[in-house]
Amino acid sequence: MAVTELRNVSKSFGSVRVIEPLDLTVQSGEFVVIVGPSGCGKSTLLRMVAGLETASGGQILIDGSDVTGKEPSERGVAMVFQTYALYPHMTVRENMAFGLEMAGVSKAEREQLVLKAARTLQLENYLDRKPKQLSGGQRQRVAIGRTIVRDPKVFLFDEPLSNLDAELRVQMRLEIAKLHRELGATMIYVTHDQVEAMTLATRIVVLRDGRIEQVGPPSELYADPDNTFVAGFIGSPRMNLMPAIVHAGDGEGHAVIDVPAMGLKAFSAPLRDRLAALPGEAVFGVRPEDLVWARDGEPSDITLTCEIVEDLGSNVFLYNAASRDGSIVAELPRGVHPAPGETVRFRISDGASYLFTEAGARL
Amino acid sequence: MKRTMGWNLTLAAGLGFFVALVGLPFWWVVSGSFKLPQEIIARVPTMFPQSFTWQHYDKLLSSSDYGTYLVNSVFVSGLSAFLTLLLAIPAGYAFFRLEFRGRETWYRVILLAYAFPSIVVLIPLFTMFAKAGLVDTRLALIIVNVAFALPFAIWMLRSFFGSIPREIEEAARLDGGPPLTVLRRIMIPLTAPGIAAVAIFAFVTSWTEYVFASVMILSDAKRTIPVGFSGIIGQYQVDWGLLLAGASLAILPVVIVFALIGRWFVTGLTEGAVK
Repeated sequence: MAVTELRNVSKSFGSVRVIEPLDLTVQSGEFVVIVGPSGCGKSTLLRMVAGLETASGGQILIDGSDVTGKEPSERGVAMVFQTYALYPHMTVRENMAFGLEMAGVSKAEREQLVLKAARTLQLENYLDRKPKQLSGGQRQRVAIGRTIVRDPKVFLFDEPLSNLDAELRVQMRLEIAKLHRELGATMIYVTHDQVEAMTLATRIVVLRDGRIEQVGPPSELYADPDNTFVAGFIGSPRMNLMPAIVHAGDGEGHAVIDVPAMGLKAFSAPLRDRLAALPGEAVFGVRPEDLVWARDGEPSDITLTCEIVEDLGSNVFLYNAASRDGSIVAELPRGVHPAPGETVRFRISDGASYLFTEAGARL
Repeated sequence: MKRTMGWNLTLAAGLGFFVALVGLPFWWVVSGSFKLPQEIIARVPTMFPQSFTWQHYDKLLSSSDYGTYLVNSVFVSGLSAFLTLLLAIPAGYAFFRLEFRGRETWYRVILLAYAFPSIVVLIPLFTMFAKAGLVDTRLALIIVNVAFALPFAIWMLRSFFGSIPREIEEAARLDGGPPLTVLRRIMIPLTAPGIAAVAIFAFVTSWTEYVFASVMILSDAKRTIPVGFSGIIGQYQVDWGLLLAGASLAILPVVIVFALIGRWFVTGLTEGAVK
């Protein structure tokens, strides 16, 4: 367990800047998930913490000591790779014990630590097998076991679940969450899957083009995004974002707006900063689940023409123009199945809409 | 997809043709070495021996220095192959792993060694070896053989190292393995097929090397098979039985090396490592 600190850390490959100078502190025992689209630099950031990539600038501190120039093995970190990266010619036991052996741990103690980790991960029966005799989920468990036995200060995960099928991914996700609770260890986890981020993280770091867009607990990022990127990235289906015309503020923390794409007129949208200077044009955001289906006779804010209905069993989503940009998605109650072409009325939940500048910053 | 009968027959015929192409000369040499002299030179050659005799082998081993040549060859080729591996493995790994100025250039330049026919370097090398007192020593042959096998061996091993997923090595670095331990415990076991291929290459090139062996070695007791054996058959007229027996025996160590090292040619070595 240790505090991990990134101070002004940056990374360039040749003349290409992949990580802009950034600061990030991961507290002891925290589970921080770094999310972002592919190519945003999240894996590079993790690899710099691991010591597999050298930082082009700045300092990395683990447990108070500067590890920026240190070898990976001297940092007290352990990493689970996306591709497992097991030693194929060694048994599960040898795979898990290799790091301990390198650290000079005695054979008896190695055996004991491996057994303990194997028990935690339900791998006792597979200790004498080679990786190729294991299933994908078991291999990933071995990769995790290899990190556990070393009792590192910081666990690093680089998209560990992306090679597993959907069912196994859910199961391993729960196991990792359980592991974090049991070990109370500091974990840094990289993924592009926002479900993993939302379910595992104590704090999420949203990264785009090597810049941190927002850091915060999952619920905060979901409920109070700083910009359109975070608003669009967190939540599935993504938030509806539409151009809006701003008329005026009402002086009580709302802006009066029109959203032509939704047929919304003189709508009172809540502002984060009630004193903010309002631009003439803005971006209006509302999540599908905050568009509430209005029964006959109930008041409504907007009317959508149904083009496609996606029934996921637990949720039903309506798309008004599935094939085009700027399609609006709304959640329907279970069992409501409008026919294509039918019009459906929705009310916008109170206080559950957002306003951003055209550049993307929250208003 | 199911193949038709016609296709199967064509494939079998093609396979049979190539097996015969490679196998027949061997069969001819080995079976001939057991035939009586009159059968060997018979006007109508026999595919299968009508007679059987050890006399050629007996003559070869008792009345010539063939045994000495064989021992010399095994010694020179074995040690050449061993030294080639000993130098090529770390060098190939260094070319793959370390980043240094001009790495790619050097990597290509080492293959230039093959741009010169051996006959071109023969005279200057002989002069140098003479000054160093290495002429007429088996060490001279080993040095030459290693020098000629090394560039290709390094070149080949580097690409074998390159075929190992990067994450495996990174995982080993995170596990705290020093570079030489990673090489020994992780990289070498995983590149076993490549190392086996290089070992066989180095052994066979040394085994068949003639030009340097014929010039650098002066005394009969230090000759290797290609040179020594050519002396045996040229001494009188061509004794076909002796020639075939000698050729058969010369094949044997190579077959043994293939059998021993061939076990390393296992496929799917990295299976289960990644994904």
